[in-house]
Amino acid sequence: MNILILSLYHPELVRGGSQQIAYELFESLRGQENLNVTLLSAADSNAAALFKSGARITGFDNRPGEFLFLNDDYDYTWQKSSDPLLTEAYVEFLNLLKPDIIHFHHFIRFGVDFLTLTRKTLPRAKIILTCHEFLTICAAEGHMQRLNDGSLCTRPSAVRCHQCLPEKSPEHFFARRLWMQSHLSNVDVFTTPSQFMIDIFAKAGLPREKFHHIGNGLKPRAPKHQETPRPRNHFGFFGQMVDAKGLHILLDAVTILRAGNFENFKVEINGANLNFASPARRSRIETFLAAEAAREVQNVTVNGAYHPEDLASRMARIDWCVVPSIWRESFGLVISEAWTYGRPVIAANAGGPAERIRDNIDGLLFPLGDSRALADTIKRACTEPGLWDKLTAGITQPPDHNAMAEGFFELYRK
Amino acid sequence: MADSPETRKASSASFDEESYLRFNPDVRAAVAAGHFASGRDHFERYGKAEGRQTKKLSNQLRDRVIATGNLDAPRPRPKNWACSIDSVMISPAGGIFFTGWVDDYLEILDSIDLYFGEWAISFSGAGIARTRRPDVEAARGLAPRHSYGFWGFTAAGRTLPSGPCSVVIRLRSGTEASLMIVAEFLSDLELRTTILHQIETANYFGPPAFEAAHSFGPAIGAQITAFNKILAAHAIKTPYAERFGDVKPHYKGSIIVCLHGNLDAIFVQQALFSQQPDIQDFEFIYVCQNPEQAESLLNEARHSAQIYGLDQTIILLGANAGLSAARNLAAQYANSDRLLFVSPAILPYDQNFIVQHTQVLENAPPEQTALFSVPLFYDDGSLMHGGIYFELDMMPRFETGNMAETILLRPEHYGRGAAPDTAIFLRPRPVPAISGAFISAHRAWFEKLGGFSTDYVLGGYEDADFCLKSLGQGKPAWLHGAKLFHLEGAAKPGAAGTINRWLFTKTWGEIVQKDLLGPAPKNPVFR
Repeated sequence: MNILILSLYHPELVRGGSQQIAYELFESLRGQENLNVTLLSAADSNAAALFKSGARITGFDNRPGEFLFLNDDYDYTWQKSSDPLLTEAYVEFLNLLKPDIIHFHHFIRFGVDFLTLTRKTLPRAKIILTCHEFLTICAAEGHMQRLNDGSLCTRPSAVRCHQCLPEKSPEHFFARRLWMQSHLSNVDVFTTPSQFMIDIFAKAGLPREKFHHIGNGLKPRAPKHQETPRPRNHFGFFGQMVDAKGLHILLDAVTILRAGNFENFKVEINGANLNFASPARRSRIETFLAAEAAREVQNVTVNGAYHPEDLASRMARIDWCVVPSIWRESFGLVISEAWTYGRPVIAANAGGPAERIRDNIDGLLFPLGDSRALADTIKRACTEPGLWDKLTAGITQPPDHNAMAEGFFELYRK
Repeated sequence: MADSPETRKASSASFDEESYLRFNPDVRAAVAAGHFASGRDHFERYGKAEGRQTKKLSNQLRDRVIATGNLDAPRPRPKNWACSIDSVMISPAGGIFFTGWVDDYLEILDSIDLYFGEWAISFSGAGIARTRRPDVEAARGLAPRHSYGFWGFTAAGRTLPSGPCSVVIRLRSGTEASLMIVAEFLSDLELRTTILHQIETANYFGPPAFEAAHSFGPAIGAQITAFNKILAAHAIKTPYAERFGDVKPHYKGSIIVCLHGNLDAIFVQQALFSQQPDIQDFEFIYVCQNPEQAESLLNEARHSAQIYGLDQTIILLGANAGLSAARNLAAQYANSDRLLFVSPAILPYDQNFIVQHTQVLENAPPEQTALFSVPLFYDDGSLMHGGIYFELDMMPRFETGNMAETILLRPEHYGRGAAPDTAIFLRPRPVPAISGAFISAHRAWFEKLGGFSTDYVLGGYEDADFCLKSLGQGKPAWLHGAKLFHLEGAAKPGAAGTINRWLFTKTWGEIVQKDLLGPAPKNPVFR
C-alpha cells in the first residue's frame, strides 16, 4: 500500500500538535512491511533557508520518504494557494508517487482545494482528512469560540460568523461554507481526535457517517522519574501563550488565591509565542509577569519554550498540569504528556479534556473560563490530603503512536 | 461715462425743476442754502452722474414699472457680491470639468466662460449643476437658503491644451467677475472618477437622487454619458485574451462573468459550478477591467483550470469599460449560441442548475427563452429576485420658486425578501425586466438588440434597459424555474447608479408610465 501523509509543517521546523501527530503516524507506519509511506510537510517563510530556487517540492535533510512542500503564498481567508506552479508540482508529485491513500493531517498551506485537486488527479485514491480543529466550519481559527462574547459556539452560520469577524459580510461566510463543502465532498473519511468534534461537525452539516474518532497517540517518552514525598503544590502550564490556551485564566486564579491570603503554591509557565496573543491579552500577561518579577516571593515563574526532550525535567518539577484553555481543545496532547509522567491534569471542562479526563478519578475539571473556580481547584489540590496520590493512581496511560497508527491503518484498509 | 443721445435729450428737454427738487429733498435744501443755483444746476453738476430721479410719475400709468434709465446697461457689482472658481480640469478625450461657487441668490447666474490661450468655451447658467456649499454658507454668515455651489462638465470630443485659464462668471444682470486659475490635466479615467465623486459627495437641500437628476437634465447628463461612451470604446479596443483548458468548437452555453475588483469569484464559482452535471458542456469567460490584477487573475485562472478542469477564457482590459461594454465584448468570444451573463456574486443553489437550465431551453417555446432569468435567493434563504417591475418616484422642487417635479423610475424585485417557497413569485412568466445578476440570452437575439447599452456609466440599469428593448421588439423577458444564490450585499448604488437611474428614466420613463408601471402592469403581455 502506498500512503502519502500531508502535514502542516514539519515538527522539526515548526512545533505544533498536528504536525507532531502526523510525524508520529509516519514514523509508526513506515516501520511496517508492505507499506510505502511518504511524508509531505508544508514549509513557508519560517524555513526560508530551505527553499531552493525553482523548486516547489524538495527532500528534507536527507531523510528517506520525507519531502517539503515549499509554499510561501497562502490565502488564509479562503484556505488556498494561488500559485499554479505549486499546483503543477503537487500533481506531478502525486502522479510519480501514485498513492493509494492520501491522508491530509491538515490542509493549511496546501489549500483546502487540494482535496479536489487530489480527487481529480487520482480519482480512485482514498482521501482522509484529520480535523485537528474546526477550521472547515469556523473562520475564527477553527476554535468555535465566539470572538464577540467569548462563549463557545455550537452552531456556525453566516450571521453568527459575521458577528465574530465583523469585517467580513454574512455573504462571505455563506460562500465560505459552500466553498468548504464543495472541497470536503471529495473526502472519503474524516477523523477527529475526540468524539465530541463529530457532533459539532455533524450539526454544521457535514456527513456524520464519514467521521471516525481516532485519538492521538504519542511515542513513549522517557521513563517516569522516581517520585519523592513532598507537598503537591506545584502547577505547570505547558503550551503556547496564545489567547485560546487560557494562560490569563491561570494568572487570574493566582491573583484570586493571593487575595485570599493563600500563597503556598508555585506555578511554572512552560511555553512561548506570547507575541501571537492578542494585544490586550499580551499586555495583561506581560503586566502580570512584570509585577510578579518585582515581588520578593514569587508564585509564578516562566521557564520559556521547551522541546520534547525537556519534558521529563519540566514535568518532574511540577505536581499538577493545568490546561486552562478557553476553547474546546480538540484533544489535548499535553494531557497525554502529563499522564506519561504521572501528573494529574486540572483542565477546563470542555472538548477533548472533558472527554478524556475523569473528574476526581484521574484529574480535576473546572468550568471553562472561570478563574475563580480554577483558584478553588488549585487550593483544593494543594490542601486536600491524598488527592494527588488518588488521582495519580487513577491515570491510565493513553494509547501510543502505534495504537493510533493501527487505528488509521484500519481506515486505510476499509 | 459719456451720455447717450437719448439721455442727453431727456436730460435737457424733459428736466422738470419742481419734480427734481421734490424727489431730492437734500438738493432742495442745498439750493435753499445757496450751495447751488437751482435744481438743474445740481443735476448738471452731480445729479446726472449719480442717477438722481428727475421725472415725475404722476402722469404715468399706475401699478407698473416705468423705465427711467437704461435697465440693461452693465451694473457695478452689488455690494458684498462674491464668487470663486475652485478647479478646472481637462482630460485628453476633451472632458472639461469645473467647480466653484457664486452668490447668485438675488441675481441669477447667466454663464461661466473659460478662456484658454487657444480656445474658449461658454457654459450657460441653465446647464450648470447647482449644489449646496456649507463652507460658503458658513463663511458668508447668515446666508439665505440657496445653492451657491456649481459644477459643470462637457465632453468636447477632442484633445484641448490645458494651462492658465481666465474664468468669467456672469450674472443675468450683467454683473461679472474675472478670475484666474491654472487648469489641471487629468487622464480620462481620473476625470470620470472625479465627476462621479462630485456627484456622490455633492450636498443638496433636497433629496440627493432627485436634485442630482435635476442637475443632469439640461446638459450635464448627456455629456457624461457621451464621455463615458468614449472611455468604454477606448477600454475595449485592445483586449488581452488567454484561453485555459480546451477549446471546443461549440458549447451549450458560455458563462460570462465580469469581475468587479474581487477575484474570489473565479475560484469560488468554479469550485461550485464544477460540481454541476454537464458543466463540461459550458465554457467560462471572465472579464477583468483592472490591469493591476492581471497577474493575479491569470494565476487564479491557471490554478483553477488545473483543479476544476473547466474551459475558460480570461479577457483583460486596460481600463474599466463598464459592465455593458465588457459583457458585449465577452459575448464576442463566446463559442456558443447561449450567453449566460452571471454576476460574480452568483452561486448555484444546488447541483441541478445546469440541468434545469437545459430543460428550460428544451421544453419552453423559443420566444420564452430568448431572454430569461431565474429566481435568485439571498444567503439568508429568502427570495432576492423573482423578476423586476417598475415604480415611479416623484419629488417637487421649490428651489427656484417655481414648483416643478422631478420623476425617477425605480426598479423593484418581485418577492424580494419573501419566503423561498412563495409560489406566486417563482412561477414561470413574462416580467417587465430581469436582474442582470443572471441573464440567459439567445445569442442571435442578444446581437439583434445590439447588446447592452453602453450609455450607462460603469454598471446599473443596463439590464432593465436591455429587457425593455427586447419587449419593444416583441419578446418580453421571462422568469423560469431554476434557482441561484445571489450574494448581494449592502453595497450602495453610488454615483454611477444616480446618473444611470436618471438616464434610464429619461430613456424609458414615458413608455413605462404608459402601461408598465407597478407589479401588475397594464400591458397585456403581463396580464
